[in-house]
Amino acid sequence: MSTSNELHLDDDQLVWAVVDEAELPLPLREHLSTCPVCRANKAQTAKNLSRLGQMAERFAPLPAHSISLPVKEPRSTTRWSWGWQTYAGAAVAAALVLAVFWRTPVPPGPSGENGNMMATEIQEAEQFMTEIAMLVDNALPAVYLDISAEPSADFDEELMEPVGPSVEDQPLTDNYRKRGVSLC
Amino acid sequence: MSQTDQEKDHAPAPTGGPKLTSLVEEAQAGGRAAFEQLMGHFQKDIFRMAYYRTRSSMDAEDLTQEVFLQAYKKISSLKEVDRFRSWLFQIALNRIRDFNRKKRFRNLFSAFGDTRETAKTPAGASDQPEALDNLMAQDFWKQIELFLNKLSRMEREVFLLRFVDHLSIKEISQALAKSESTVKTHLYRSIGKFKAEHSIHQLLQEGVA
Repeated sequence: MSTSNELHLDDDQLVWAVVDEAELPLPLREHLSTCPVCRANKAQTAKNLSRLGQMAERFAPLPAHSISLPVKEPRSTTRWSWGWQTYAGAAVAAALVLAVFWRTPVPPGPSGENGNMMATEIQEAEQFMTEIAMLVDNALPAVYLDISAEPSADFDEELMEPVGPSVEDQPLTDNYRKRGVSLC
Repeated sequence: MSQTDQEKDHAPAPTGGPKLTSLVEEAQAGGRAAFEQLMGHFQKDIFRMAYYRTRSSMDAEDLTQEVFLQAYKKISSLKEVDRFRSWLFQIALNRIRDFNRKKRFRNLFSAFGDTRETAKTPAGASDQPEALDNLMAQDFWKQIELFLNKLSRMEREVFLLRFVDHLSIKEISQALAKSESTVKTHLYRSIGKFKAEHSIHQLLQEGVA
């Protein structure tokens, strides 16, 4: 035999050979395929494992009854069963929300006879406030407005400036010359 | 033993084929008969799988029923029909995990929670196991339990799925939602521990003899 003893697979390599021979490096795989000693070692472990499976099967009972599906067709996809539960939950939640809103007391709105009365009162109050505002602007009765000096309260002082300059603008000396009045 | 023989010994159970694929497709389309055929095809596998993990034939029967009912309800959600077998095992693993969780909880309050059988359940007079077989079974499961207790949870699951349930590495990775390299690493560790367990090897030799 050409292969030397040094190249024989050790225990770990033999275990890897049992797990999956492809996990071994190529030289070891080549050795394993030609070396009867290594092949026998591997075969012994594999055989023991196989026997274990056979004995387990031998010492296990067979099922006493054949299983059967329920008579009613329980064919429901995952989506359907999920959807059914979701829809049921959503329906219950919606019913609860409706029930809560149904029982909550709502303040009465401006409708019917009460509404008309309220609108009249608001209108009267607005009219009253307008009259007060007019009196604030001009307290004279309407008949005296035409003869009053200031028929309008909107008097603009700037408009009068070019007509008659204010006293502060004229120097005191001018007054003296014109009228000959001593200052002392 | 030739390499072909070794591979035959070690090969996982057939995972299906075109017929199985078409049955899954029919079942997805609502075919009850097709699903019943699938149940017939996989019932033993799932029952045994549940039995290996619960060691109670009654619990295994209940779990098998639950697994197939759940599979029937959810089969329309299976995207790749060729993954049916690993998908079924995934459902079974989840159901068994739930079962064990509930059982642990029950055991906190009950002194009679453990329903494990010490030997093969006598299903009827015709298949009543012989005494020697019973003793061997008892010893076998005891040794297996001792060995499995030395493995981590993932090592145990991967080991059982590969060598007792006969799933391929790809199927295990699909059923456990782990990468193939992770599965291989756990397998490597569990096989290493298995090799060191001399009492099991002796038991296996006796079992064959």
